[in-house]
Amino acid sequence: MAEYENPQIPEGINVSPTHPLKDFALLVGGISALILVAVLALSLLAGQLARHVPFEQERALAGSLSRWLPETPAQPAHRERQQYLQQLADRLATAMDLPPEMTLTVHYSASNTVNALATLGGHIVVFQGLIDTLPSENALAMVMAHEIAHIRHRHPIVAMGRGFAVMFALSSLAGIGDGAMQQWLTGVGMLPILSFSRSQEEQADADALQAMLRTYSHVGDAAAFFEHIARQQTTGEPLAIFSTHPGHEERIERIRQFAQSQATQAAPTSVPLPDFMKSE
Amino acid sequence: MYDLILFLVLLLLGYVFGQRAEKRHFKSIIEREQTLRDILVFSERRIPDEDQLEGILVSGNVVISVDFFKRFVASLRNLVGGRVSSYESLLERARREAILRMKDAARRKGATAVWNLRLETASIYKGAQNAVGAVEVVAYGTAVRQRR
Repeated sequence: MAEYENPQIPEGINVSPTHPLKDFALLVGGISALILVAVLALSLLAGQLARHVPFEQERALAGSLSRWLPETPAQPAHRERQQYLQQLADRLATAMDLPPEMTLTVHYSASNTVNALATLGGHIVVFQGLIDTLPSENALAMVMAHEIAHIRHRHPIVAMGRGFAVMFALSSLAGIGDGAMQQWLTGVGMLPILSFSRSQEEQADADALQAMLRTYSHVGDAAAFFEHIARQQTTGEPLAIFSTHPGHEERIERIRQFAQSQATQAAPTSVPLPDFMKSE
Repeated sequence: MYDLILFLVLLLLGYVFGQRAEKRHFKSIIEREQTLRDILVFSERRIPDEDQLEGILVSGNVVISVDFFKRFVASLRNLVGGRVSSYESLLERARREAILRMKDAARRKGATAVWNLRLETASIYKGAQNAVGAVEVVAYGTAVRQRR
């Protein structure tokens, strides 16, 4: 049996000599970057395409959303408020040179949510909760002009186009790998959508300030809503990159800068809100 | 957000405990390989001088679980291809441990060598989604001792 032997096998010849953490970092970094770039490109493309959908089509599409929007209020007091909001919106629309085919439909909701939103088909919803926090018509006009600017720039349909494209892409990716990885892939893929709507918000703010200037010839009270929110939210503001809207401080600062650059009058006077607008 | 935190905690646990277990296991494997070096192992099917020897079937098997970290790295590796180094060390441990257990069985039978060594691997939980997989390695061969 002399011709048979078991030599000592050197250690480590069967394992690639890479540190597991280095392997991990390279893989996570590389694949994240790849997905981010792909989703970014896809959402940009989808957004560009969605912009070309005629407004007529967008309104027809919004028809299916109508049951989700607040109904025409039954109470005469609420109806009066809605009419006032609609008139304000139309005035602002003229100041903003809204194309004639873009019609605005303002909905009033008696809910005490502190919010206003713009959605597909030129629908704007204003909540009583928002109106109650505002000191003047100027402040309300700023919020409404912001929403109108979203519609003017076709942001709702662009967001929807992007949302669908990214959702399809991620759900087709989700077929790969196990649960933990799917979650991670989806999380990484959602990042660019959030930061894109942020730039849209900034665009809408800038347009709204111009509209304020044209309607009231000053931008007094434009920051009132954000100042109110900043007061309410002393703690727990989410990290700027993760939130859709730019940070409140950032917005107040931007409005203040704009106001300074446009300062023509010593003390701009704000138009008060009519008495019937405040909730009892 | 909580899902992400849970995921990162699992990843960290998998890494810390997985690496510690692996380091300890390799240390123990190297030690035991030294003590069992006198049991020779060959893959040769024909046993020389078999008329003077008697053969006994010996086997050793081991099941080692994949940790969460290794599994995640391997699933990423699946996307881009290449050497799955996180599984390479896992399988090496399993193979060497199975051979050690087989050698141990041979020693208890009073054998001096094992011929015709065969190794088989099986993946436990194969195809089961969201389950941490485990690998089994079986080593078996013919242990020989002098005919009495």
